[in-house]
Amino acid sequence: MFANLNSFRKTTGRLMSTIISLIRYNKASCVGVVLILGITIIAIGAPFIAIEHYAEVDIANRLQPPSLSHPFGTDVLGRDVFSRVVYGARIALGVGLLAVFVEVFVGVPLGIIAGYFGGKVDKIISALGDAVWAFPPIVLALGVVMLIGPGLINVMVAIALTYWPVFTRVTRAKVQSLVNREFILAARAIGESDFNIMLRYLLPNVIPVNIVLATLYLPAAILSTTALSFLGFGAQPPTPDWGLMLAEGASQLVIAPWIATFPGIFIVITALGFNLVGDGLRDLLDPKLKV
Amino acid sequence: MNEPLLDVRNLRTYFYLSEGIVKAVDGVSFTVNKDEVFCLVGETGCGKSVTALSIMRLVPYPGKIVGGSILYEGTDLLKLSEEEMRLIRGREIAMIFQNPMRSLNPVFTIGYQVAEAPMVHFNLPSQDAWNKAVDLIGKVKIPDPEVRAKNYPHVLSGGMRQRSMIAMMISCEPKLLIADEPTTSVDVTVQAQLMDLLLDIKRKQKMSIILITHNFGLVAETGDRAAVMYSGKIVEIGTVKEIFKEPLHPYTQGLLQCLPISFERKKELNFIPGTLPSPINPPKGCRFHPRCSHATEKCKVEEPPLIELKKGHFVACHLYGG
Repeated sequence: MFANLNSFRKTTGRLMSTIISLIRYNKASCVGVVLILGITIIAIGAPFIAIEHYAEVDIANRLQPPSLSHPFGTDVLGRDVFSRVVYGARIALGVGLLAVFVEVFVGVPLGIIAGYFGGKVDKIISALGDAVWAFPPIVLALGVVMLIGPGLINVMVAIALTYWPVFTRVTRAKVQSLVNREFILAARAIGESDFNIMLRYLLPNVIPVNIVLATLYLPAAILSTTALSFLGFGAQPPTPDWGLMLAEGASQLVIAPWIATFPGIFIVITALGFNLVGDGLRDLLDPKLKV
Repeated sequence: MNEPLLDVRNLRTYFYLSEGIVKAVDGVSFTVNKDEVFCLVGETGCGKSVTALSIMRLVPYPGKIVGGSILYEGTDLLKLSEEEMRLIRGREIAMIFQNPMRSLNPVFTIGYQVAEAPMVHFNLPSQDAWNKAVDLIGKVKIPDPEVRAKNYPHVLSGGMRQRSMIAMMISCEPKLLIADEPTTSVDVTVQAQLMDLLLDIKRKQKMSIILITHNFGLVAETGDRAAVMYSGKIVEIGTVKEIFKEPLHPYTQGLLQCLPISFERKKELNFIPGTLPSPINPPKGCRFHPRCSHATEKCKVEEPPLIELKKGHFVACHLYGG
């Protein structure tokens, strides 16, 4: 991707300066950056932070309230809720990121093709996107999981299949505003092929808007995976998925509220963090909203 | 010298709008000889740019070339496949656009963009193409080519961007360069420098230029032959010398009188009354007759053909030879 170390440094430098100006001008996204950093550190350092393995059963100590040895208490099987929440961060981030990546890889090329060629191609792709978007997202994802079977990877695929039209639509609109610009005409005037124009002229110009969109749709992907896991279609026990933990804790809500509460709090924190950063990025990259 | 390079015959390009058909180019014929500057002059909206885009076969939707032929060194460009045409663009015929601010890709350095065409047409490895780009950027007289090649378009001035654009378009040494109002958006001093540069490159590379402009000063200074367009048709073709010395068509005469050449302050500037006719529903007969002071009854009904009045000097007007 990077031709040499120098351009790599430049790219990371630009990324850092973007984050710095985000923190400087937008207090809310400053909070978001801290939250995301926290969750990321927890996810990466899970084996060191967790007290015990997430699947370690200890029936003697089941349904213990939070204490020093079990900060978030224990669940029905005596597993340490804190350790499970910590390992759950890996699953939430991993599945969320992967789902968004798939969404981008499906949505953006389709959007570029639709916007560039227009006409019938555009109509077919747009109609397909609208048809997908017409379903309530969770219901469609449920349907897809029903077809291909439950499991974390399948849930991820289902979510990607549900949300790609968002990326297609935004990319298509952006491309439509670009194709009539003279530099695309100039590119054709030097004999560039359609494929080259899409890859080298249009794609780089639609990346910024898609970065913002990806940050805004990452929490949606995380929430959807947890929702599907909560309903029993996603992660299967003993995977420490936050949604699954919510489902397991729901039946014990009256006698042991900590089992469902802590994963719930972490779902909120993660989604909030990405939403705040996404909003901040959008404000930063949209000159119309700048004061 | 007088070998034809490009022969446009009866070219018609129409735009199909919901309001009706706009006949932007309606039966235009002209030839461009090897190693000459051919000027296409006319008011805004008379079809100059569409003619140029038709030659490149880049007419934007909903426009369509509906008839005629464009012979380039004997082959009809309109009969080529899209892929064959792509190989002509940039390699044989290149085009410079009016607005250098918008003709460059904002996300790539200019060196990268200049290197693009040689990579497309000659499959040059990227390092060679880059060196060639730096070389070309120096050739269009941008100072410090090594440094400038690494700049993004937004750091450059309008003149430098247009120079980069020229570098991009001459990179494959095309035989024909179409310059669509290349100097309209830069100021006069830069304008002179750019034209000088273009003529210099033309001499060195032995290429022909189709210069599209509404600036008669530019035509007088740089052109060999010129065609005057009005409402999608050519009304007069001739050598630049003859057109300036002896304009035949009333429209050309009117245009030349509009030039504020004198330094004395006259009471009023000359102008041609009226505006360009509606392109959807042009007037019958000669399209210029509602604005023409010499118009007769015949002009209102019969369209004047383009006739050769003197050798190489054509005019479409009932005043002559009618």
